Amino acid sequence: MRKIETRHWTFLGLFVCIGLVMLINVTVDHPVSAQTQKMYDFIDSLPSGSVLIVSFDHEASSLPEIRPIALAILRHAFSRGHRLIGVALLSEGTAIGYRLMRKTAAEYGRKYGRDYVYLGFKPQYIAAILSMGESIPRTFPQDYLGRSYENLELLNGVRNYDDVAAVISITDGSLTTHWMEYGSARYGIRILSGMTAAMVTTFDPYVDSGQMYCLVAGLRGAAEYERLINYKGGGTRGMLAQTTAHLYVILLVVLGNVIYFKSRRKRTTR
Amino acid sequence: MTLAIFSFLYRDNPIYKMAESLLIGVSIGYTLVIVWSSTLMDLLFKPFFCNEQYGLALPFILGLLMFGRFLPRTSSFSRIPIAVMIGSGAGVAIPVMLEARTLKQISATVTPLITESGFPDLSAIVVIVGVLTTLSYFYFSREHKGSLGISAKVGTYFLMIFFGATFGYTVMSRMSTFIGRMEFLLTEFLHLTG
Repeated sequence: MRKIETRHWTFLGLFVCIGLVMLINVTVDHPVSAQTQKMYDFIDSLPSGSVLIVSFDHEASSLPEIRPIALAILRHAFSRGHRLIGVALLSEGTAIGYRLMRKTAAEYGRKYGRDYVYLGFKPQYIAAILSMGESIPRTFPQDYLGRSYENLELLNGVRNYDDVAAVISITDGSLTTHWMEYGSARYGIRILSGMTAAMVTTFDPYVDSGQMYCLVAGLRGAAEYERLINYKGGGTRGMLAQTTAHLYVILLVVLGNVIYFKSRRKRTTR
Repeated sequence: MTLAIFSFLYRDNPIYKMAESLLIGVSIGYTLVIVWSSTLMDLLFKPFFCNEQYGLALPFILGLLMFGRFLPRTSSFSRIPIAVMIGSGAGVAIPVMLEARTLKQISATVTPLITESGFPDLSAIVVIVGVLTTLSYFYFSREHKGSLGISAKVGTYFLMIFFGATFGYTVMSRMSTFIGRMEFLLTEFLHLTG
């Protein structure tokens, strides 16, 4: 049997803290950030029936964080009667994106082909973004389910980005950068993003410069969005756990520093 | 799978190894299937054989030349598709990068330091001071002494704040992932919460 080390106690502490807090089932009240509000206002202000591209640019590993964000945005868009075109620029996000769209569409009674379509994965994301700017039917002659473009009611009249209100990139990496550099800079399409918290500092400069319209980040962003659409989803449920986890980390940092300085003082007095 | 992956927190073990191998295998298998169906079939074989788009033979041959790398005698052939990729990629990327990553970022940095009401715009001042001092830190043609030394020192503080913020967000992100898995365990697996 291996000896229990300090790091094991640290992990166990986190596990117990989060586990207990999640069992309590209490929600935390939190203010809505300006970025989340901007995303909500934009989607809310679009005329019903507007076409939005939702691009699932993430891997399966980030699903626990990405899922609540994507679901909140999709729920809002479907509830407003917008028509959604799903694509994936990373292969791992393909099936996930389809499942999320199908799930939320079913909640609002939206019909495939009329209210939403899923075009699936396209390799070489830069080429795909540029190609969609010229012609979406040429880039995706068929949807994810193998139906031809002409047979999908929603796509009649949608030729390129000119017929789309905005692109919402759901990402855990830098793929949204390519949407901005090629989709926005070249074709002028508005880029919004839902992303993992780890990517916020990468994309903040693009929000400041106006190259990205707005972003919703991490579990907190999801919780804020859920609050705006009046829905208690994974974001809202996870906020108390996240707050507790952060307090636990802060406690460990303080404790670690106290132990370090005490041991240093002991060494110097010797 | 989730519990098997979590078991690594105690120590490396065969169950974790199995879960890790399964995850990698499934991911690669899934990616291969998607790439085969949406790239080779949809973009090459179907248009070539069904729609008689014979011009696609050229990218197909270029693609095959890539495999030349596996043999020393044919490895030089792979330079042709690589050259095509780099040439076309650079041609597409350079103007866009210049516009999106340089010009627009510079124009967003250089904003008026005084607001319309006549008060100093603190945010704009912090941004411009941060950019200039951080750039001075990366100026290595002169020793960091005197005013350049002070500027570089201030630049390091801005860098530290950036690294701290990035690390904080990364911790938040990893915690979110862990919370997501915990929610799955407690809700969908153990049915302990609604």
